[in-house]
Amino acid sequence: MNPSQVIIAPIFPLWVILILLILGSIFTFFQFRLMRKRLSVNRSLSLFLMRLAALSLLILFALNPTWTVRKEAKVSPTLAILLDNSPGMGMPGREGKGSRLDEARALLLDGSRPLLKYLSERFDVRLYEVGESLKALNPEDLATLKVGEKRADLGAGLAQLSGKASLALLVSDGSLEWGEGRSADFPIFTLPIGEPEKYRDILIKAVKAPAMAFRGREVEIDVQVKSYGYDGLRVPVVLKDGEKLLKAKDVRLDEKTGEGTVSLSFTPEEVGSQNLSVLVPRQLGESLTANNTVRLPLKVVRDKIRILMITGSPSMSYRYMRMALKNDPSIDLLSFVILRLPSNILNVPLQEQSLIPFPVETLFTKELKDFDLLIFDDFQSSLFFKAQYLENVRDFVKKGGAFAIIGGPAFIGEGGYAGTAIEEILPVRWAGKEGYRRNSPLGVKLSRAGRVHPLTRLSPLEGEDLSLWGEMSPLDGVNPLRPKSSGTVLLESTEENSWPILTVGSYGKGRVLVLATDDSWKWYMGMVAQGKGNWAYLRLMERMVRWLTKDPSLEPVQVTFPEISGTTGQETELRVRVQEDPAFSKAGMAISASVINPEGSKISSQIKPVGQTGEYLLSFLPGKEGTYKVKVETRAGSWEESMVIGGPAENLDGFPNHELLKKISASTRGKTLTGGDDFLKELKSYEEGARNRFIEESRHPLWGNAYIFILLLTLLTMEWYFRRRWGLI
Amino acid sequence: MISRRGFLTFGLTLAGGLFFPALKLPQCASFAQFFFAQIKYRGGEWDPNPQFVEAIVEELELRTSIKALPERRIVNLGDPNLFFCPFLYIAGRYEFEPFTAQEREILRRFLSHGGFLFAEDTMGARGFGFDRAFNREIKEIFPDHPLKRLPSDHSVYRSFYLIDSVGGRQRVNPFLEGVVLDNWTPVIYCQNDLSGAWERDKFGQWVHECPPGGEPQRSSAFKAGINIIVYSLTSDYKKDLVHHPFIQRRQNR
Repeated sequence: MNPSQVIIAPIFPLWVILILLILGSIFTFFQFRLMRKRLSVNRSLSLFLMRLAALSLLILFALNPTWTVRKEAKVSPTLAILLDNSPGMGMPGREGKGSRLDEARALLLDGSRPLLKYLSERFDVRLYEVGESLKALNPEDLATLKVGEKRADLGAGLAQLSGKASLALLVSDGSLEWGEGRSADFPIFTLPIGEPEKYRDILIKAVKAPAMAFRGREVEIDVQVKSYGYDGLRVPVVLKDGEKLLKAKDVRLDEKTGEGTVSLSFTPEEVGSQNLSVLVPRQLGESLTANNTVRLPLKVVRDKIRILMITGSPSMSYRYMRMALKNDPSIDLLSFVILRLPSNILNVPLQEQSLIPFPVETLFTKELKDFDLLIFDDFQSSLFFKAQYLENVRDFVKKGGAFAIIGGPAFIGEGGYAGTAIEEILPVRWAGKEGYRRNSPLGVKLSRAGRVHPLTRLSPLEGEDLSLWGEMSPLDGVNPLRPKSSGTVLLESTEENSWPILTVGSYGKGRVLVLATDDSWKWYMGMVAQGKGNWAYLRLMERMVRWLTKDPSLEPVQVTFPEISGTTGQETELRVRVQEDPAFSKAGMAISASVINPEGSKISSQIKPVGQTGEYLLSFLPGKEGTYKVKVETRAGSWEESMVIGGPAENLDGFPNHELLKKISASTRGKTLTGGDDFLKELKSYEEGARNRFIEESRHPLWGNAYIFILLLTLLTMEWYFRRRWGLI
Repeated sequence: MISRRGFLTFGLTLAGGLFFPALKLPQCASFAQFFFAQIKYRGGEWDPNPQFVEAIVEELELRTSIKALPERRIVNLGDPNLFFCPFLYIAGRYEFEPFTAQEREILRRFLSHGGFLFAEDTMGARGFGFDRAFNREIKEIFPDHPLKRLPSDHSVYRSFYLIDSVGGRQRVNPFLEGVVLDNWTPVIYCQNDLSGAWERDKFGQWVHECPPGGEPQRSSAFKAGINIIVYSLTSDYKKDLVHHPFIQRRQNR
């Protein structure tokens, strides 16, 4: 024991101990003088020494001497091996043997002296895969490691390593994220993988396109193409909608940068989600072709709902409908009112009339397709229309156009629709010979279907619609009709043998509506007369237009696609919103979903309620890239749409970016190495310097034990015993 | 003057009311799409030209596609069926008693929500008689929208005929006045006594001369009447862009 290793740690302040020592010594000496008078010198001295020993022990106990042992230790530095797991590491390795990841694996595990084993003997090696974040790896996992789906983010990974490593070895092809001007608190040695000089590829680097476009308005898509090994070449860039070619243009790849930009423009013709793709056809000798295509989901909406309205004669029905439609800023109305029939006689020359020719041929042969909704308002078509025009109307609806007929005396009696193409598309048929009933006030009520149909849901409050329609003014005129099996009656007369007043149906891809009266304006004025405003009529007109033109907000099932196009192996989630119908909600909403993969097989999917009532989350895991068909069915209606899933290699720039690796090493005081041996040489010099030393100190209290206490008790007991024996007690 | 059909309807309704007192009448009566509904007010002379309807309806059906009833309905401002009248008409020579607050409220609500009123001062004296009383009522009903001269490009001058001056039994103003609310003119006012120019006796003879213009002035009154009726049913239809080039070309000739 080295006395310098003993330290004292008094349990009382030293001055207290000193006073106790002095007082104790004086007291003992004074006792010795007293005993000397009664006992012999030897006996007095014995007792004095025993008391002095006990006092010394107590004082030493209070001083608490401690024996301190210091031991020096040496620890190996921590080496983090960072293995890049980006999709680029799946590209072919040197000379096309395996992947770049295989090449990295071989560097670490293979050879007569495996690098990983060698390093483990000298360093505290920690193995990590670098993806979106760092993930610790066991050496035995290395052999089965697969390429990830996301580009590695080294910057984010290093933040996780802060303070946990002395140095790092990055094994990568350089195709990873590293923020400009970044650094690390330890040196990073980089070991490049791949062969930049032999890499040949063309990829679509960036596509600038709006997420939403308006139907009928030109959309411009800017495409940036990048190439490696094809500088100066002219390549075509193609824009497709599914398999349909929309546009193609050549782009010249710059000789210095290897890049080229081209603008592709097209005019979407249909409303809805379009699955666009931009691609560059495969070129000879390309290392990777999956990055030649970029999927581009585009939502096409209408800027305004374009309505063509043909009215048989000036009428109250026209005036109020016009007022309602003109009040809606999202509607673009073109109306023609037949002011004069061939039987009318004009008494003034042309320049004194405001009448214009009815451009029936232009409208119904060329321009009909430009409209979303066609309305015949008590229109006697036989006076103006060839049969061909009515067939054109039928074709317009079949292809997705909307058609509404507002009844009146001209609709059936003289309308001339019986036996025409219009009769085919209507959801109603004539009931007998009587064309129109006037002077028969008829009350109106919601049918069973009308109570839950979005078109007639005017009030957000459940049950209020029934009473609202009960307050509507009766009609003075109605076309006696009967619904076809394809038609759905929403409003009917209150008579026992009720007449359908508002009937809807569909034909082909389009929707059709028949309002069998020219008196609907009385619903407007009837509510105004009651002091209840005009909102009910205006809302009915608005919902009629929106339902006919398939406004998504009136569809029973609404589905929102993810903002970013999904990729294979990544769970895709769609938000589903179902219009709650009071009739169904009582029985509990039934909903089911199915997903069909590009090969036509049904794959596993999940739909579960989230958030508010009627909101669901549909999720599935796409295994293959291509077009998936998603279908959601509820009792209120169904929804079906296709969505494109891209592969993980889409947008992948697989060029081995060794320059970036050099930059990483330089900015972290590391070095870019050419191989495993090179690294070993570098490490030798680093190894010693990087070793950490530290002192281990242990403390053993000398007096804080039972033996000292027993010794003290023994001394005091012996002193008491001898005093008793020698007659002092 | 009530027609035979109107008389029978009225008689049967009355009889029905006597036999079924608990049965409520429907909210709107059985009306045709177009007919005149003339306001009967208190004081003054509410019906200066009782036989005006037949000739203008005949002319309307002869020249246009509008089907109209050749009869008129007499309403007072408290009549709940007023809201279902497509064309409300008020005429007079002399000052009449002020409308009650309730009557004014009914007219305000009717006219503010798409209703239409054609008013005629058959005396044609600015600031006197009917003109003074009607202006007073309009100020009460629309304090912020007084009667104003309608500009020459107003739809009422081009709704059927292209007219640049308004005829009538007399020629007080070559223009029309009106109350304009946004794109709709719910009140049109004339001091030329159009209905006086339209009026025929039971033998088909014109009741009034049309000095100083004579028959062309009467013809102009018919054109103005048809334009006002067509305007009441089509609103500002003729302001639609599709009509512009045609109307412009004809007006420039």
